[in-house]
Amino acid sequence: MIPFAEALLQEAARSAPLPAFAADLRRAGRATFEALGLPTAHLEDWRFTSLAPLASQPFSPGDPEAPLAAADLERQAGTGAGPRLVFVNGRLREDLSRPSRAFYAGSLARALRECPALAEPHLGRVAPLDGHPFAALNAALWADGALVHLPAATALVEPVELVFATVGTGAAAASAPRVLVVAEPGSEGTVVERYLALGPGPALTSAVTEVALGEGARVDHYQVQDQPANAFHFAFVGVEAEREAGFHTHSTALGAAISRSDVKVRLAGEGAEASVEGLYMTDGRRLVDNHSVVEHAKPHGTSREVFKGILDGESRAVFGGRVRVLEGALKTDAHQMNSNLLLSRDATVDAMPQLEIYADDVKCGHGGTVGQLDPDALFYLRSRGLPLAHARSLLIYAFAREMVDRVRLPALRERVGRLVAGRLPEGARVLEAA
Amino acid sequence: MSSKDHENRPLLQVEGLRARIGETEILKGLSLAVNLGEVHAIMGPNGSGKSTFAGVLAGRDHAEVTAGSAILDGRDLLAMPPEERAKAGLFLGFQYPVEIPGVGNLYFLRTALNAQRKARGEEELDAVDFLEYVKDRMKLVEMDPTFMSRGLNEGFSGGEKKRNEVLQMAVLEPRLAILDEIDSGLDIDALRIVAQGVQALRGPKRSTVLVTHYQRLLEYVVPDVVHVMAAGRIVLSGGRELALELEKKGYAWIDEEAQRGAFAISAQGAP
Repeated sequence: MIPFAEALLQEAARSAPLPAFAADLRRAGRATFEALGLPTAHLEDWRFTSLAPLASQPFSPGDPEAPLAAADLERQAGTGAGPRLVFVNGRLREDLSRPSRAFYAGSLARALRECPALAEPHLGRVAPLDGHPFAALNAALWADGALVHLPAATALVEPVELVFATVGTGAAAASAPRVLVVAEPGSEGTVVERYLALGPGPALTSAVTEVALGEGARVDHYQVQDQPANAFHFAFVGVEAEREAGFHTHSTALGAAISRSDVKVRLAGEGAEASVEGLYMTDGRRLVDNHSVVEHAKPHGTSREVFKGILDGESRAVFGGRVRVLEGALKTDAHQMNSNLLLSRDATVDAMPQLEIYADDVKCGHGGTVGQLDPDALFYLRSRGLPLAHARSLLIYAFAREMVDRVRLPALRERVGRLVAGRLPEGARVLEAA
Repeated sequence: MSSKDHENRPLLQVEGLRARIGETEILKGLSLAVNLGEVHAIMGPNGSGKSTFAGVLAGRDHAEVTAGSAILDGRDLLAMPPEERAKAGLFLGFQYPVEIPGVGNLYFLRTALNAQRKARGEEELDAVDFLEYVKDRMKLVEMDPTFMSRGLNEGFSGGEKKRNEVLQMAVLEPRLAILDEIDSGLDIDALRIVAQGVQALRGPKRSTVLVTHYQRLLEYVVPDVVHVMAAGRIVLSGGRELALELEKKGYAWIDEEAQRGAFAISAQGAP
């Protein structure tokens, strides 16, 4: 057992009692993680993702009462307009949060005490451990997180914003927040997750999000990760969509030494749709890894995946996209795309699109590109008097812009645009171009 | 150097320019002088090196310069990166303008203009002032204002791209504009509009080099000097009538003469 994991598991064992089904999940998580340990390159899904830099870190559970100045929060995540829940080291901080009046979006731990029946059918089922070490680690460690309940046949205009801050007060801090979104039949809602890491030491965030969509429900989901270069970030998103339900998820991964995202979507009902999108930027010796599995279980499902990455320095990106069309899932329409822009000769991309098709009469495709900045475009801009750094920044942003534009919430789109531009040498000027 | 010397010198002076792409030498000792206020046309068969020459002057790095010099307004062009050449007053109108989705046309134009104004020690224009200015310039090329809100050349037809090149030139007001086949792929109306734009910018304070394969454009923009380029050099120079002669006789004889080395000496005597 890795030393830091041992410390974290011991601490978790001391936390407050849970309803039986939640305690079962924690036990299963612990057993699975103890059996698996940290993944190694021998595992297919971790072939290109070395976790060696992580294992030696002395993580201990981050203090949920750690001070988080409102100014720091605002600088990192803006003020936001609608309901906002702020979690420090995995636990809800009411003092920093703005609850929703229209529906339940609040502490998962509290929901398990007060209305466990809401969570019981879904918790740990929508995102099964499935031999995933970090899904297991989260299940073993989580103490709190968010439950968002979208009531049946109701469209919620206000997005719910969940801010997860892993805050170290000196030492390396770890947190394991958990999100459960229950979208009742015919509901509509938007959930935005932001992941921050604050404090001097390295931060480890191992998050799990479960989204259960009832018949005809629509959920628009975002994850924005903009952490410092010494952070480690693992996010696992499990989704189940019933008949005619529609799920859209969009991730922006800009920071962290290692940033790994897993999205598993099961289109469990006929005519369900999923759109899985992501933008990643990496430089130095950092690594960003996006894995996804979209499973079509019933006929007439549609899935679209678009991931775009920008790599500089000696950084690496991994893309593993699997589309699985089960027997009987006729008229499935699935497409997957992964494009990468390499800004340096030493950056590498490992892209592994995989189609597993067990049904007839389906339309499935995938495509991908790995390219450099177009020298003709660069020359064109420079020939008009734009300095090289400015011209490069403009072209890089132009590449990213498609993904920024896919953010459907205007305020978040602007924010993501600013974060992306902020990582470019001439970022401030570039934004005017958009 | 005194300011009088400055005035007596050509705006652009190219001497003995040699450049190669890979192992193939494309420019083989090209010399050319363009005085302030003049319009020159460089004509010649395909493959004679016209576009390479235009690109080399603007700083495109596809060709490697091996010998010779190119001086603009007393400054060594070949020592500068492309953006510095632009700031020194050079403008290249592209034969194939690049489409850059995600970079707004209007923003791009303002950024380019302000980069150059800044270099000249002038105040940068804000968005409002710039809009007024660009609207005025757009009339020159009869461009629909909706084009400004689109991505740079994004989805533009061939003719629209060329009009956008002329618009950029009109906005940037270069000292020396090199227009590389600005007339190619244009129908007669578009040609008229583009030519009208070029003609409108003609004046005593700037010079233009039209690189073209055909005489057609020169009916609208009558050049002061016509040069013929073959096998990487200027082989003949003359007045407007030279263009008409080429139109009648074609380029074949130029190529043949050049192959025979007939222009070896006369080329150096270009005005």
